[in-house]
Amino acid sequence: MEPPPPPPSQPSSSSTTTTAPLPRLEILTSSQLSSTSFGPLQKRINSGADVTFFHTSKAYRDVMVWVMQLNHAMIPRSSPDTARPVSYPLTPNRKEWSAPVRKLRELLAKAEGLMAEAPPEENKNRRFGNGSCRVWHGLLGERIGGWVGGLFDDEEIDKRVGEELKGYFMGSWGDKGRLDYGTGHELSFLAFLGGLWKVRYFGTAGEEEREDGEVEREIVTGVVEPYLEVVRKLITTYTLEPAGSHGVWGLDDHSFLPYILGSAQFTRPIPSSLPDSPTPVEGSCPGAPKPASVTNKQTVVDYRGINMYFGAIGFIYDVKKGPFWEHSPMLFDISGIKDGWGKINKGMVKMYRAEVLGKFPVVQHFGFGGLWRWEEDPELAAEGGGASVHVQSQPQQQDQTGGTKAPWAMVGGPSGGQVSMPRPDSGMSTPTGFPGRQTGLSPAPTGFPARGGQVPMPRGGIPNTGPMEQTSFPRGGGMHDRVGGNQFSVTKAPWAKD
Amino acid sequence: MSDLDRAIAQLRACRPIPENEVRELCHKARELLIEEGNVVTVNAPVTICGDIHGQFHDLMELFRVGGDPPDTNYLFMGDFVDRGFYSLESFLLLLCLKVRYPDRMTLIRGNHESRQITTVYGFYDECLRKYGSANVWRYCCDVFDYLALGAIVLGASNTLSQPEGSQPGGQDVEIEVCNADQQIISRFLRKGSNGGGSAGGSQAGGSPEGTGRGEGSPNGAGEGRPTTNGFGEGDGPPAPSNTGPPGSGASGASGGSLGNPAGAVLCVHGGLSPLIDNVDKIRLLDRKQEVPHEGAMCDLLWSDPDEIDGWGLSPRGAGFLFGADIVKVFNHRNDLSLIARAHQLVMEGFKEMFDASIVTVWSAPNYCYRCGNVAALLELSEDDSGLGVLARSNGDVNRSDGGMGGQGPRGVLMENDLLGYNRAGPARRYRVFQAAPQDSRGMPAKKPVADYFL
Repeated sequence: MEPPPPPPSQPSSSSTTTTAPLPRLEILTSSQLSSTSFGPLQKRINSGADVTFFHTSKAYRDVMVWVMQLNHAMIPRSSPDTARPVSYPLTPNRKEWSAPVRKLRELLAKAEGLMAEAPPEENKNRRFGNGSCRVWHGLLGERIGGWVGGLFDDEEIDKRVGEELKGYFMGSWGDKGRLDYGTGHELSFLAFLGGLWKVRYFGTAGEEEREDGEVEREIVTGVVEPYLEVVRKLITTYTLEPAGSHGVWGLDDHSFLPYILGSAQFTRPIPSSLPDSPTPVEGSCPGAPKPASVTNKQTVVDYRGINMYFGAIGFIYDVKKGPFWEHSPMLFDISGIKDGWGKINKGMVKMYRAEVLGKFPVVQHFGFGGLWRWEEDPELAAEGGGASVHVQSQPQQQDQTGGTKAPWAMVGGPSGGQVSMPRPDSGMSTPTGFPGRQTGLSPAPTGFPARGGQVPMPRGGIPNTGPMEQTSFPRGGGMHDRVGGNQFSVTKAPWAKD
Repeated sequence: MSDLDRAIAQLRACRPIPENEVRELCHKARELLIEEGNVVTVNAPVTICGDIHGQFHDLMELFRVGGDPPDTNYLFMGDFVDRGFYSLESFLLLLCLKVRYPDRMTLIRGNHESRQITTVYGFYDECLRKYGSANVWRYCCDVFDYLALGAIVLGASNTLSQPEGSQPGGQDVEIEVCNADQQIISRFLRKGSNGGGSAGGSQAGGSPEGTGRGEGSPNGAGEGRPTTNGFGEGDGPPAPSNTGPPGSGASGASGGSLGNPAGAVLCVHGGLSPLIDNVDKIRLLDRKQEVPHEGAMCDLLWSDPDEIDGWGLSPRGAGFLFGADIVKVFNHRNDLSLIARAHQLVMEGFKEMFDASIVTVWSAPNYCYRCGNVAALLELSEDDSGLGVLARSNGDVNRSDGGMGGQGPRGVLMENDLLGYNRAGPARRYRVFQAAPQDSRGMPAKKPVADYFL
């Protein structure tokens, strides 16, 4: 579908000035490639303190550079020569792709094709997640080695980094034990793509030969979006539960990236003559639908094929019944933002740092190695951690990370991750009244403080007796013949071990 | 109209009450709840409900299907809050009803009635969004600490009450499944009943004996009522030597069942604990605290039954998994015929397991707006055979087989009791219902966004 024609030219207010080049994910030199040790991914985040270190690490720096690089490429470009800015809709029917992107699309298609070999089981006894998803994971695991190897013409590269890339790819599809999927898995796919970038898989990407952002746009529209589509098919086919669901109180049951990249598609254009212009923080592209139109099902239908934000919301409409404002209150509130998609984009990036990269339950499963390094980045460390601003908005239990806390206080939690409202102590503006139908009927509450109070710690103390000696209760039966292990939106203890 | 009635009316219209009223309500509720034991005794008839999770409109549907309080005696097994949009309205309404009709409304604690869980899973965010401060959340959490941990239902009948004007059951119906319009979807006769075919399309009557699985179970393949060799470890449980209230583990040699022809029913949110081998041990816990990360109180709220032997690790990271053997031994030892629990989504709204020794009841239809499940409530009728709760454990052995129609002399049953199977559980009527219609809910004003977007 073509984007609707934008209204007559409306020159973007050019508050941008020439600035430092946009940081791009560094491509490893051949000497780096041969001197770095690669291997199976290592989990490094085992406590809240590790999350704090993560925010000063090279891996964290690179993740944010990569996100911002992809985000920036999706921003519409304006040019004095053309009446309309150029925007970058999804192109589901595009036939021509560069060879690296085409091969990744084939890889995704093969992964999707495996679902035919693992049809959902008919088992009246299961409660929610379909166990056949484990069969699918198994098949993928058997074949992925050759498939990832097939991406490279140079066998040597596969020998070096194939193991790590395979790890990120396998981590991109949800948890096979729990039958869930969340933003932690989405992050793993992002790391897979960024890892490919680092080993120059996408060719001369980032260098002068190709137009500004072109390669990144191809990655987003040609790989990230198809990935999300496979994920959605997995979720519906095997009824995967949202990892660590917050119910209606999260942004989305499963995904985050489409909200970042989709809002970038609609944000205020930057001049094509200044490709390193800063990412706009407010304003919209002429012709973009209003943020408020996410509540209009028809508008969502119209745009879901070309815009990732609407694509994600379209999926919500597909799977949820009920009023949008009720099952998705955060997205509903965000749809009331008056300062355009730029504001939404900026907020989504901030929120991603805090609610995905800043949450132990989400990032605890992230693997580190030679591509994404568990090593201090001097600049971030000097700044006190890339996410330090947002660490304050962690829930209380994230703060139970000091040495005096019970060992299990941070050793696990709802995994995969899902995003939620910021914590009270991050400051929320005062609501103007009660939601719902009572407007005008209910006596206005008076004297509410403008800011939420502190969350008291669980009272009575958490017994500091260390982990349960659970090993004394041996399990019977394997994962496959159990019926009770998985269900939709199972509540995991925030302190749960994995 | 009292303030309380006005608050109930306002909450029934899904409008939150002002903060000062919440504070007052929570204060009254605490005064009331502190008087309750950890295990509340409830007399049948009672309607038992599972997780609600803030699905207010579905709670209204539940009341429509199950009858309005106080006309219907309700027992809610926790998880009133989190995930749904209306945790606040749902919990406050239930709490108002508890304060207004304390004897007709029993609330026990779920694992989500906890400070730590509600800060992660939504109720905290909801209170902040609806009131602008965490005060209401704090008041509610203080009430959570006082909620009972379980309930024992006494005096449940072996036969189902029939609505006036309907033809009497006639047969020995053990399980009846009804839809929201009071129509019978299916009926299941007791094993050994001579009742023949039943109205409403029995699925059990025609099932041959002895296939060893499935027959007589309304859902859950392989988890039907036992056949005669369903459970027998060969080591008959020791005869209890003490006496006391049924369900207390202090039953007499008669099995303690005389006062409860159908046996008592234990209601708890999650399940059993390896630290709790009889109900009295629950009574001894100090419950007035945040749900601990481990220990008996934690397990009662977190554990799940599973197809395993003995105990297993829980994938939830709290509580345990427990198998059929655990349930059967526990029920026998405590003179229970059934454990009713919630805590896990079941697509059919309820799920009986382990030869109907334990049932999961789930009362949040189309959970999280997308699961497509139906919800259920469980009705236990009052035993009117004269063997009600007043007659318990007083030595009236062999007084009657009232309510045990078709099952032969009492003595034979006792044999079976000692083997731990074929205990005649209470007759159970499940009412199954769908999510409330959605179309009438208008769009509210947008709220200020999270600070990321400022």
